[in-house]
Amino acid sequence: MDAISLENVTKAFDSVIAVNAVNLRVRQGAVLGLLGPNGAGKTTTIRMVMNILVPDEGSIRVLDKPVSDESRNWIGYLPEERGLYPRMKVRALIIFLAALHGLTESEADRRAREWLTRFELSEWSEKRMVDLSKGMQQKVQFVTAVIHKPPIVILDEPFSGLDPVNATTIKDVMLEMRDQGSTIILSTHRMEQVERMCDSICLINHGQNVLDGDLRAIKQSYGKNTAHIEFTGSDAFLNSPAVASVNRFGSGVEAKLKPGADPQELLRSAVQTGVRIDRFELLEPSLNDIFIEKTAHA
Amino acid sequence: MHKLWLIIKREYITRVKTKGFVIGTLIVPLLGVGFTFLIVFLIGHQSSQAMRLAIVDDAGGIAPAVVSGLQTRLANGQPQFSVTQTIEQPADRDAVQEELRGKINAGALDGYLVIPANLSRAVELHTKNPGNFSMFGPITSAVNEAVVEARLSAHGIHVDNVRDLVKSADLQVIKVTKEGESVEKGQTIGIAIALVILLYMSLLMYGIITMRSVLEEKTTRTMEVLISAVTPSQLLAGKILGVAGVAITQFLIWGATVVLLGSYGVAMAAMGGAGSLMSNIHVPASLMICAVIYFFCGYFLYSSMFAAVGAACSSEQDAQQLQWIAMAPLVFTMLIYSVVLNDSTSRLALILSEIPFFGPVLMPLRVSLQTPPLWQLALSIAILLLSIAVVIFASAKIYRVGILMYGKRPTLPELVRWLRYS
Repeated sequence: MDAISLENVTKAFDSVIAVNAVNLRVRQGAVLGLLGPNGAGKTTTIRMVMNILVPDEGSIRVLDKPVSDESRNWIGYLPEERGLYPRMKVRALIIFLAALHGLTESEADRRAREWLTRFELSEWSEKRMVDLSKGMQQKVQFVTAVIHKPPIVILDEPFSGLDPVNATTIKDVMLEMRDQGSTIILSTHRMEQVERMCDSICLINHGQNVLDGDLRAIKQSYGKNTAHIEFTGSDAFLNSPAVASVNRFGSGVEAKLKPGADPQELLRSAVQTGVRIDRFELLEPSLNDIFIEKTAHA
Repeated sequence: MHKLWLIIKREYITRVKTKGFVIGTLIVPLLGVGFTFLIVFLIGHQSSQAMRLAIVDDAGGIAPAVVSGLQTRLANGQPQFSVTQTIEQPADRDAVQEELRGKINAGALDGYLVIPANLSRAVELHTKNPGNFSMFGPITSAVNEAVVEARLSAHGIHVDNVRDLVKSADLQVIKVTKEGESVEKGQTIGIAIALVILLYMSLLMYGIITMRSVLEEKTTRTMEVLISAVTPSQLLAGKILGVAGVAITQFLIWGATVVLLGSYGVAMAAMGGAGSLMSNIHVPASLMICAVIYFFCGYFLYSSMFAAVGAACSSEQDAQQLQWIAMAPLVFTMLIYSVVLNDSTSRLALILSEIPFFGPVLMPLRVSLQTPPLWQLALSIAILLLSIAVVIFASAKIYRVGILMYGKRPTLPELVRWLRYS
């Protein structure tokens, strides 16, 4: 059973088509990276899944049922734009939002105390939200998204503004939820996070689904077309006709090869020019490269 | 339903805990009660000393009549005026006036009257305190009577009591109702105008509270979290009903205050005290019920419009500029209510009071002046309920789109376009 499925979903605002015939299936228990440049249609897609917006065409199913107001109870949502009632006290706020997701007030209170302890916010539970630091507020908001143990969690840039310690805490919770069977949709521009956490991706550009599927399979489909080279000497060999583009780092370069080009030819020409090769490794393209390729020239 | 209740509860508790609510609900009536007691106290303790007057009578023979005319008494039973000196046809009037001025400045005299030799000219009152209006009526009356008597005498007509002769006829207005007749002392107009102001202020105030509440959730970005748990319609309904609960609480507290004040007025009337002024004011229960019904109809109509405005804007400034859409019909009501006040039974008054945006203020106004036929009330309520349904439907559509729209303030055509979004 799919956790979420979209079939030919289209949404337009006046003459602007925000989402154009998008198809997507998110299997239960998956961690999906929802990617795309700013304004690509990711938020509109999420809002349609949340039943906040209604598609003009197509259909959306959540846990194999047509999307409805009831499906809000099955989804935990952390929006990109953070904000909660600034004058409400932390624990009262968590209880209020948990109750809106269907928990009884006593159960919401019990879970709120647990989460606050886990995120080291117990001392702040009776403070107003406005008194908390940005990072603390973000942790509270994360708690409000997951406190009702939803089978589906949609997190929009969950790590932005968090220090490494807090980011690791949030990441651990996400992986824990995945292990318990929750489906996680992670919308972010941080490709390294997606590579580390997601098993599948959906790349949206100009309202269209331009790439989706298993992340490993997608990367394999590109083949090992990138050479990571660390060397000493002139870099003139990189002007070889086999090289499509070069990405320079402090310790070396990543040379993307043209389709059909033989990496051995590049290695041979480097050696012939007298360069000392310390490392030559063929890699699959990074998600960042794939993102740029799919969106930069579209 | 449970979610709706949670939204209502939070909205209600948040509002009633604010300083604004405490000030508006408790301190305003306390100030009202305080002022009432102050007025009653001041009325009961107005100047307890007689005004010391001198009379310079250039005409001659008028002063005694003026003195006998100044018979009014203060609240404490003492005479209001004490004529300390009368000077008939002085040889050197300037010197006399100079002397009297000196006495006034020395605090030995409060004022003096100069009655001219030619009685067709004005009588002068010289005083240090021209703001004391309470003395004008009795002095004018006494001087009038004395001058008229002198003129009549000059024409050979001798009258024992000029006051009775020149007294003007009084017109007493009796209000006829189905219940009977009652003496009208301006309380009907007073209640009507007070009702118009109260309804206008309440509808405006609670509408703006609703708008600000929506705006707060939008500007703090709480909205997006909320609508991941509840539908926009539940959120809108919860907000409007929560603020309605606040209004009910406020009215109950104010109502209790009015009842207490009324009881005080009745008690004072029984004792014949100054508070008996309030016992003249009687607001029929039917009018109060009518006002409450129309207030809530008006509240649901206007607050849903204000909520839509709040949802459409991204900042307080934008909202202030766009709120005219919801405010305009209310403000217009205040411009036209005098039409109904002048003739509540006219065809124009009927038409205006049946228009749903004006009805919540104008229909209770008509009821306070003269109860209109039942069919007119029923028609007005029916039109209002239908309008509320339409306006809430449209506002909910704008709200649903607006709460997630940030950036520039939408124009009116854009708001209309939002109605077409699904």
